[in-house]
Amino acid sequence: MFIIPSDIWEDMIDHARGHAPRECCGMLAGTDNRVTRQYRITNILAKLNEAELARFDQPKLSDLKQLAPEERADIAFQMDARELSQAQKDIRQRGIELQAFYHSHTMSPARPSATDITLAMEFEHCRAALNLPQPLHVIVSLEDRDHPVMRAYRIEASRATEVPVRRQ
Amino acid sequence: MITIRIPTPLRSMTGGKSEIEGKGASIGELIEQMNADHPGLKDRLCDEQGEIRRFINVYLNEEDIRFLTGKDTPVKDGDEVSIVPAIAGGAHD
Repeated sequence: MFIIPSDIWEDMIDHARGHAPRECCGMLAGTDNRVTRQYRITNILAKLNEAELARFDQPKLSDLKQLAPEERADIAFQMDARELSQAQKDIRQRGIELQAFYHSHTMSPARPSATDITLAMEFEHCRAALNLPQPLHVIVSLEDRDHPVMRAYRIEASRATEVPVRRQ
Repeated sequence: MITIRIPTPLRSMTGGKSEIEGKGASIGELIEQMNADHPGLKDRLCDEQGEIRRFINVYLNEEDIRFLTGKDTPVKDGDEVSIVPAIAGGAHD
């Protein structure tokens, strides 16, 4: 069970709504699957140039290239690396641990896409070297704008397994 | 020697290796030397101004070099440098 306090839960939904139709992204930290701190991270996707977009898998890359730069964040996110490190540093200083990354899907369900899984695995291959715990991946779906859905997943061996999430 | 951990997307440039060894007095020198051994690697890591690209983190022994002295950060034998693209993803088609 992954536990997210009500105020953070609401803020994640506000974050997603505030950026729609663009995807938002962030990090959740705490201890033992219980979130105590949220970090909003900037989605810098629109700032990536053509060469930098090559970090995405081929199907997503083709889709991204068909869109104007400012529209690309409607279907993808890229966390700002500096902000991510700043959050990691704050997490370390507070003596808590990274629990999850989160992002929104503004027009699709709250489950990881093929791209989410591919890029989560890419991070997974680097994670051990940084002595970080395995994060969950939380997705906020605004597919039904009036009824946002939040789900959490563990992504390993290129498979996503849902982990029950509770608002508390 | 300094160990450099290479993320999956860049391994095509290092002959599939997940770790390479490098020499240099600073991160900047290390990148130049890596680029001499694996041409094109610098372009993947650094932008046109020579700064680390905004979606990439370079860690020296778990600390982001942006919070040290960037590419001037000194390195020494036995150090471990990790190149880690920040997490990304995208919705369903």
